[in-house]
Amino acid sequence: MTFQQLIITLNEFWAGQGCHISQPYDVEVGAGTMTPDTFLRSLGPEPWKVAYVQPSRRPTDGRYGENPYRMQRYFQYQVIMKPASADIQDIYLDSLVALGIDLACHDIRFVEDDWEAPTLAAAGVGWEVWLDGMEITQFTYFQQVGGLECQPVPVELTYGPERLAMYLQGVDDYRQLDWSDQIKYGEIRYAEEKQFSDYNFEVADTEMLGELFGRYERETEACLQAHLPLPAYDYVLKCSHTFNLLDARGALSVTERNAMIMRVRRLACRVAEAYVTDREQLGFPLLEE
Amino acid sequence: MAADLLYEIGVEEIPANAVLPALAQLEAFVGEGLDRLRLGYGQIATYGTPRRLAIVVKDVDDCQEDVVEEIKGPPAHAAFDAQGNPAQAAAGFARSRGVELSDLEVRTVDEGEWVFARVSRPGQPATEVLPQLLKQATEQLSFPKTMWWAEVGFRFARPLRWLVALLGEQLLDLEIAGVRATQTTRGHRVLGTDSIEVDHPGRYMDLLEANGVVADHRRRREMIVQQATELAATRGGRPRIDPDVLTEVNFLVEYPTCVIGSFDAEYLQLPHEVIVTVLQGHQKAFAVENEQGNLAPNFIAVTNADSAAADTVCSGWEKVIVPRLDDVQFYYEQDMGQPLAERREALKRVTFMEKLGTLYDQSERLVKLTSWLAEYLDEVSDSEAQTARRAAELAKCDQVTMMVRDGKLGEVLQGVIGGYYARDSGESQAVATAISEQYLPAQPGDSIPTTPAGRMLSLADKMDHLAACFRLGEIPRGSADPYALRRRATGVIEIVRQTGYHFPLSAFIQQSLESLPVPPDDSSLVPTSQAASRLQDLFAERLQAVWEQGGVDYDICRAVLATDWDDIAEANARGQLLAQLRNSQPELFIRLVTAAERPARIARSENIPEAAEVDTSLFEHPMESRLLEEFAGIRDEVETLLEDKPPDWAQVAALLAGLLPVIHQYFEDVMVMIEDEALSRNRLTLLRDIDELFLRLADFLEIVQSSE
Repeated sequence: MTFQQLIITLNEFWAGQGCHISQPYDVEVGAGTMTPDTFLRSLGPEPWKVAYVQPSRRPTDGRYGENPYRMQRYFQYQVIMKPASADIQDIYLDSLVALGIDLACHDIRFVEDDWEAPTLAAAGVGWEVWLDGMEITQFTYFQQVGGLECQPVPVELTYGPERLAMYLQGVDDYRQLDWSDQIKYGEIRYAEEKQFSDYNFEVADTEMLGELFGRYERETEACLQAHLPLPAYDYVLKCSHTFNLLDARGALSVTERNAMIMRVRRLACRVAEAYVTDREQLGFPLLEE
Repeated sequence: MAADLLYEIGVEEIPANAVLPALAQLEAFVGEGLDRLRLGYGQIATYGTPRRLAIVVKDVDDCQEDVVEEIKGPPAHAAFDAQGNPAQAAAGFARSRGVELSDLEVRTVDEGEWVFARVSRPGQPATEVLPQLLKQATEQLSFPKTMWWAEVGFRFARPLRWLVALLGEQLLDLEIAGVRATQTTRGHRVLGTDSIEVDHPGRYMDLLEANGVVADHRRRREMIVQQATELAATRGGRPRIDPDVLTEVNFLVEYPTCVIGSFDAEYLQLPHEVIVTVLQGHQKAFAVENEQGNLAPNFIAVTNADSAAADTVCSGWEKVIVPRLDDVQFYYEQDMGQPLAERREALKRVTFMEKLGTLYDQSERLVKLTSWLAEYLDEVSDSEAQTARRAAELAKCDQVTMMVRDGKLGEVLQGVIGGYYARDSGESQAVATAISEQYLPAQPGDSIPTTPAGRMLSLADKMDHLAACFRLGEIPRGSADPYALRRRATGVIEIVRQTGYHFPLSAFIQQSLESLPVPPDDSSLVPTSQAASRLQDLFAERLQAVWEQGGVDYDICRAVLATDWDDIAEANARGQLLAQLRNSQPELFIRLVTAAERPARIARSENIPEAAEVDTSLFEHPMESRLLEEFAGIRDEVETLLEDKPPDWAQVAALLAGLLPVIHQYFEDVMVMIEDEALSRNRLTLLRDIDELFLRLADFLEIVQSSE
């Protein structure tokens, strides 16, 4: 199964479960959880079922393209089911079967792993799913997002499509993955990994980044003042990515690092509240009678 | 008639470490509940897997015992008139208890004549009362962490998905969190069906086993150990089974199948602790050792799969473990490129704690603190002191290595890694050992460092950490102790208890606090004097906790802590001795307490100036001279004993107890509080001196004597 087939299969599977298939968000994020489709839609009483691929940027994970498993930009396949149905674990296992994994021939395990994202004031309870000892999915019941308690509780499934595809294709290096029958993952993305590792670790202008962080922060405030939680959230994401770049450059002391995390966190909490207020004023339009 | 009770709580995979505590609670709640409900029962057994908490109770009565209760009502004179006819109060009482007037009787109790109602309550069928009991028991279960999933108002460790509740063949009517109890349980996710009818509790285990679930965790544990042992033997070795890992993996599987995998032997050049941490830490696999006890290039994974899948599963595991070892190998090679000592410079760029300088500053403080300790410790040689100083300089260098910066490894192996790199960089074995032991004891039950240099470094590191946190106002409160400060203080106490190191705690605290950097703006810091006194309090609290855990009674702890306990080793010896005396020589103990009590009580009731001395010219009664003479003799002997390190406290106690007859006689013959103030104060001064001598051992007024 090629990398793209894997994504097509997951799209079809989750569409069949009533999810709409969304598209990647166009602001840099560290994880699929950070996109509005997850972060904002987890808030409030409205139901939400969505699945999408999200490119995720983690500058510190860059290895100049040379590590067979680690990249500074990779993909997450993200599913949100809100509320979570009682048989969600079974549905998830069915998705593995859809990918051609014969469960009887493998060791599938749900291993405790509670998830927490300090910058988003978000926390959940759940597992990492092991396939023959390898973590292939993070499975989380959200408990709190943006400092607000989640009610109803959304379930978030985050697949690591590269890992899964490597396992299914039996290759030991992401570069060797068949993206399609015609082209390999490495042929498409290796140069990008190398250049961005160079940039993230050695070139990025820390002075500029420090200044941008402050400006993005102020812009978030301005958007909040204008009661525009959606644009405000974009600037929270920009703050977060700028912080990640500064971190990769080793430009932050422990103290500064913690202080910046707290700044992003406070903004995220305020945006969350503003978003819920906004939806409430609209009468929670997705709420069924 | 009796029948077996089966109750199974079906859940999504519950955290492995939560299962056993939950089963213990379930057993206790159900047992207590059955007693309270007056239902007889036989043996109780519990079974746990990641997906189920189950309890089976043999021979539960099908009906509660009948009871006749006697309920006290109004006094007889109010309930009946002079002719013995029931009055309003009697009728009201009978009605409220649901009995006839004829069921009331008058009985004589302590307070006089009173009306009693005899109420008989027939037992309810067990099927009526058990559902409530099981529901309550389930709701009462406590877990380290709970969650919401759907239903508002019910939290559990993980979502509750099914319930089985059977008394014999009868289904119990029970609903929790929107889940109704049925007779249907579920098998293994892959190896069984998810719809198994349990017709009778006695068939529960067999039905599950036929569906790929070994519900009895004790049996699973045996299976894992046996399989692991057999598999390792096929490679001529044996598994290295860490008991914590075994418990954890046991509750990650319903049907254990061990597989043995291998990795390239070249990885064995890595520090073995690192390999074991990689195998156990994240992957929860067992290491394998060969006949000589050395690590073999194999691991054993405990899977939840069918043995037919073993080959596929095993190659999957190798694909996870080998890259992890490869990562670590990469770190190791990178780290070895630079001698450990050269890394000290890099410590200047790593913050130790907010406002309190860098790790480099900390390492300088550790040098200072170990030197300070070495001055006090006669048993430490010059070369050991030098070793400690060198180890202190290098102690934090591993914090800037790749191996330790990889969070998961660093958490477990900081220090140990530094030890390896120190040796490889040409430091002496003694320095390397001290570095690797600097965090011991890190957990309850850990041993203390094995060498004097390691012990001094560990004491210095712990105290430096405590001082820094207390200066920053990070003081443990209630269950919140994010910097593990209680554990560190306990570590200091453990090292001192086991080594008998004598040094003044208050001076050590002072030294540590004063060594900390003073930031330009220190207004947000806790003043040093206040930090010092709070640290003293923490040590008193930990010392008491350590003693009580070792079986020393609360009042003995108080008695020692009420005296000067600045030398913890000495205070510890006194506490241990008193606990031992109370148990093995209770008579001597009582004599000691009795001898100490009266002088202490009287002397402390008046304020005698420190400088006051006994004036023999003011003696009137011959008993006064006798007391002084005997006391002075014993005081000299005690003082001599106290010069020994460590003093023979048993001998001190025996000497002090020997004062009882003369003290007793003194109080028979002499009045202390008399008109003549000069005489009275002179007598009080002598008693104060006696009290002070006893206080060298303990404050016996804190001792609670049983009433006999």
